Amino acid sequence: MEIDGNTLLIIIIILFLFFSTPGGDGVSSQYEFNQLQSFKSQLNTEYESFEQMSYNSGFRNITGFKLSFNDVKDDPQRNATYPIPSKDYDRWFQNQDYLILPEDVTTRVKNEVWSPNMNKPEENVFPPNITSSLLGRIQLISNNKHPRIPMPVPRFYESPTEFSDVTPPEGETYFKDWPAHSELHNVTFDTGELTIQLTHVDKVPSQLGSQKKKFFNSQTDRWKFLNLRISLSDKSEHERHSLYTNAIYDVRRGRILAMTESAKFHSLFAFPHYMNLQNDNDNDDEDTFDSLKKAVKEYWDKSNFVKTLTMGDLQSWYDESILKCEYMVFLQLSPWNQYTRDQIKMIDDELNWPLGRPANLSHLPPVTVSKGILYSPDCGVELEFHDAKGERYGLKIRSIRTHLLFGIGLFIAQIYLLLCQMHHTNTPSSVNKISVYCFSMINLVDGSLATIYFFSASILPELYLPLVTSAFACFILASVFETRYLISVYASQLNERNVGISTLLRGGHSTNEDTDTATAVVPDESSISGSLYARFFFMLVSFTLLSMSARWWPRKVRMMFEYSAIIVLNSYWLPQIFRNAIKGTLPRRNRLRNQRMNEAMGVRRQNKMPLLWKFVLGTTFIRTLPVVYVFTYSSNVFRHHRNVRFVVVLCLWLLFQIAVLYSQDILGSRWFLPKLSIPEGYSYHKAMPAQDLLEHGSTAGYTIDCAICMSEVPIRVEEVPETHKVDEQTYMVTPCAHIFHTQCLENWMSYKLQCPVCRSPLPPL
Amino acid sequence: MSMENPTGLYRYPVTKLCMVGTTMVTLVASIASCKYIFIAKYDPFISEYQQYFRLLTFQLGCVNETDMALLVLIWYQFRNLERLMGSLKYISVISLALIYTTVCLAGLNCLVNRILPWKIWNGLTTGCLPLVLALFHFYKEYTPQVYEFEVLLTQPWSQKSHRKQYKWILNDQFLVNALVAILLINQGVEGIICGFISWIIGVFLDKGLLPGMDRWRLPLMQHLLMPKDASNNQGVYENPGGETSEELLIRRDDREESPGASNGASPLDDENANDEPARPLGVQFLETFRT
Repeated sequence: MEIDGNTLLIIIIILFLFFSTPGGDGVSSQYEFNQLQSFKSQLNTEYESFEQMSYNSGFRNITGFKLSFNDVKDDPQRNATYPIPSKDYDRWFQNQDYLILPEDVTTRVKNEVWSPNMNKPEENVFPPNITSSLLGRIQLISNNKHPRIPMPVPRFYESPTEFSDVTPPEGETYFKDWPAHSELHNVTFDTGELTIQLTHVDKVPSQLGSQKKKFFNSQTDRWKFLNLRISLSDKSEHERHSLYTNAIYDVRRGRILAMTESAKFHSLFAFPHYMNLQNDNDNDDEDTFDSLKKAVKEYWDKSNFVKTLTMGDLQSWYDESILKCEYMVFLQLSPWNQYTRDQIKMIDDELNWPLGRPANLSHLPPVTVSKGILYSPDCGVELEFHDAKGERYGLKIRSIRTHLLFGIGLFIAQIYLLLCQMHHTNTPSSVNKISVYCFSMINLVDGSLATIYFFSASILPELYLPLVTSAFACFILASVFETRYLISVYASQLNERNVGISTLLRGGHSTNEDTDTATAVVPDESSISGSLYARFFFMLVSFTLLSMSARWWPRKVRMMFEYSAIIVLNSYWLPQIFRNAIKGTLPRRNRLRNQRMNEAMGVRRQNKMPLLWKFVLGTTFIRTLPVVYVFTYSSNVFRHHRNVRFVVVLCLWLLFQIAVLYSQDILGSRWFLPKLSIPEGYSYHKAMPAQDLLEHGSTAGYTIDCAICMSEVPIRVEEVPETHKVDEQTYMVTPCAHIFHTQCLENWMSYKLQCPVCRSPLPPL
Repeated sequence: MSMENPTGLYRYPVTKLCMVGTTMVTLVASIASCKYIFIAKYDPFISEYQQYFRLLTFQLGCVNETDMALLVLIWYQFRNLERLMGSLKYISVISLALIYTTVCLAGLNCLVNRILPWKIWNGLTTGCLPLVLALFHFYKEYTPQVYEFEVLLTQPWSQKSHRKQYKWILNDQFLVNALVAILLINQGVEGIICGFISWIIGVFLDKGLLPGMDRWRLPLMQHLLMPKDASNNQGVYENPGGETSEELLIRRDDREESPGASNGASPLDDENANDEPARPLGVQFLETFRT
């Protein structure tokens, strides 16, 4: 490539754009720099105060924990400042004088959730690795009983009001100052759906922008760091809350404490005290506190928590604090007492690195949270749930892999069937009878599947190989085989464009259009393929985007979209039924008779049904099977709801289409049309008037030279009785009035539907 | 070099099967993430977990992709053997060698590990290395050396007068030898032990110490290999002289018709041939992308 001045300029501008984006911490102005500095210094001060905290002393200057529950109860107008006069910071008790939880929540956590009978680490075995996503139903206990603890947001988080601002404002704002987001700060449904995604955080990056992660936890036998994504929604998904929380998992007792983290609630420093809510002897408590404080410190130091903060963190902390309630979540896992620790280790190993160990993974119990309480101190909302269950992530991946493999099998079967079908219709005349829309629909579904597979391959790295293989198989099917077939169908039907249905019923020929059709230029396949590919990819991208965005629509709209899309996309035989009616094939009995006659005459005739029955039935089966699975098997991998009635309706609809196709095969494709409405089709076999024959330079014996084999064709001439013994079936007259032997022209027409002499389009046989 | 085989796999059904099979089994196992069924380590799988199926499956697929590539290359080189024996006998010998190597290696391995206290031979190889090594004996025994060539190497950076010249004499089989050597080394000590035992099995099989070479033919293979072979070329394959198909079978078996022989290679011309030759499917697809 030659590089002139302009190209060079463009390259430099592009490089400038690349390198001038804010790197590292994302700071792009003096204001933001100061914001980030305030953010960091705030966290540093709080960490210092955390370091001085001991089992016997309370929270001092830690955002979100400056007020205790009783402080607010006694004086609801009190602001969260430090130090509060007359507040006792040097002692710590687990009651609402010190905690931000009301007394009855604390008691329930102590007695019901983290119940004392789970408190014997040597009796119960809990799985150390609980990456999974749990499903359950959640109940609202109260949303107005408890006073809300005011949690201010420092004003340095706010974005600048003017360009010239350099220092962020000081001070704090309270809930009443914020713009109205009332529905997000409350939970209004009584019961709803709950999903909890648990992920382990074993390693943290220690530098900004570095991909290298380090282990930080030296007490993995006691504590595990988790990330929990909790989402709550009511049944119709109108109200949806999603919380991202840090959590600590007590491996020995099966307890999980999760807390959201935001600009108004620095929960990381609160884990040691709040993990200790139990009725137990003090020695053990102090040990727990110190050990957990050490774990938090390790996390803080190893991840360089303050140094690795970016503007992105700052903004997301601010958004979380303004838009959402803070939650404290107390969970109790069910123990896996049927296993020994060695067995659990073997199960973990097998899931991480399958070697065929006798781990009996198919009988692995689900990860179960037997009881959980969610309490929001700043919104006063209390929720609880029982028995949220979910498969281990590794197991889920395994079952998805099996499904994907099965899907690949289906794709391969579909490719095979399509090849059979293509082999069955290998001439332009037979391809002409296929409906473009029928295959476009099939193609659209396959193409969007390929795209979805391809996208999900980048989302699920564990399943990269099977997903990419599926995407590849699907892509081969859609864009090579099906599109190729579509191109040939489309090419054979170009003659019929801009022709009315009634003309088509007659077989694509009308006398007054002779001049038009004779000059029509038939484009070659490469230009058709270009336009078809463009259309295919446009449809594909738009449909895929539509169906992906539909996932986030509210439940009712989504279901309506889903059902109608499935019904419409499963009507793929409908266009073929219309096409059959337009092209008009004879009933099966007549076809067989004709075939026998033709075989006797040694003529190949093209009057079979366009679609192979193997293809019709196989394709229907392959395409319905996944839908049936998803809608009837209640624990399917997509977590789709069960709806047997819809599946039955869908199957009946497909059966109806197939039944009509079959009736067209048996009774002739136009049996449902009244006889009168069917005009006479173009007949290649007819007698000629003598005058026309003279124009073609006939010889004295009323014969004409066939332009294909260059031998004579005897013609039946209307006016001349002695030619009437000539069989009309032995020659063919094209609409452009050229005459050939039947055998010669039919052979030719299996390659091209053009007149060999004048290139005007020929109606297919 | 008229003795050279024709390149490509036309009329080498068994070689094709072996090459495609080696690749596909490994690929599918990799996609299904169940490659571990080909690993047969005595400890812990046999001694502790009692997973005896591993003693039967270890030859079917490779764990390592390098092994797979090497094996595919070796199978291609071994097509001489298919030409020599004929497809039916070749696949029978392959099946026989597969059975003998599997049984002997598995048995010996268990025996050694039971009797000897040290773990000197913990695992079996993965991939069909033993089978290839057994066939390697046949290859060396029955494939004549066609040519040899010398590679002259001189020491650089020394005076021209006392420059030492090294001479390597290589022959046309050095590629196979090199591939087999890499294959053996690639799996470490286990590869060498299993390879040696399998090679001995190949020798025994050839000399008749292990029975079955002459009489064992895979049933049904005749129908799978031959008719397909005859029908997939465009012309109609007909028996000249009205021989029944059984007679033909015997005759073919006797003279061990080589699949690479080119006398039947050109398809018969169709009487009704159209001027435009029928385009195979592959060509039709490729034309989609031709602009």
